[in-house]
Amino acid sequence: MIESDLVQTVLDISLLVMVGLLIVTSWRVVVGPSPADRLQAIDMITTILIGVIVLLSMVEVKAFYISIALALAALSFVATVSIARYIQEGRMF
Amino acid sequence: MSEIREILGVFFIGLGVFFYVVGVVGLVRFPDIYMRIHSAGKVGLLGLVGLLIGTAFIFPETTLQAIALIIFFVIGTPVASHALASAAYRSGVPMADSQRDDFAEVRKDDVVPDYPEASDATTSAGGVD
Repeated sequence: MIESDLVQTVLDISLLVMVGLLIVTSWRVVVGPSPADRLQAIDMITTILIGVIVLLSMVEVKAFYISIALALAALSFVATVSIARYIQEGRMF
Repeated sequence: MSEIREILGVFFIGLGVFFYVVGVVGLVRFPDIYMRIHSAGKVGLLGLVGLLIGTAFIFPETTLQAIALIIFFVIGTPVASHALASAAYRSGVPMADSQRDDFAEVRKDDVVPDYPEASDATTSAGGVD
């Protein structure tokens, strides 16, 4: 599937950039002054992780990695909304 | 034919990674949580959609799953961003200086303290807004 050098090079560079973005975003998790800041940075980290999984599915030529990304997206959505509700109202349910 | 597909896929992957970089720069540089939600929410969504379109070009077996993930994200990200902005606003996170707070009088009435031990939110019926 990945036979050309162009695709291979672009995938490698993209993976490097995305991992660098993960590190930069975790700086905001550490620094962020309010709990909502940290929650929002963690949500962005999950989005970047889903991008990394999508790139890995091309590098390793395995289609079921996208299903893992879908499950991670669903869990991250529920977690973000419920923790935001906890920050807003002081209780989750 | 295969070459065209690969070039299109590489183009969309590059676009997606570019949007991710822009979103993280906004997440680090903006002064205010509301601006950061604006940056990370929209731009993270665009970056992921770009990556998934590129994946569907390069690796065609994943097209259906990629479409499902795109639909889920297009629905889910605005909802999560809205919940985050509402949580930040009602827990009293201040805005940056140049902003105008049109809801300050409304917020005075229903503001909820930050942490559960300081509030009686467990007994009030504020579940539905």
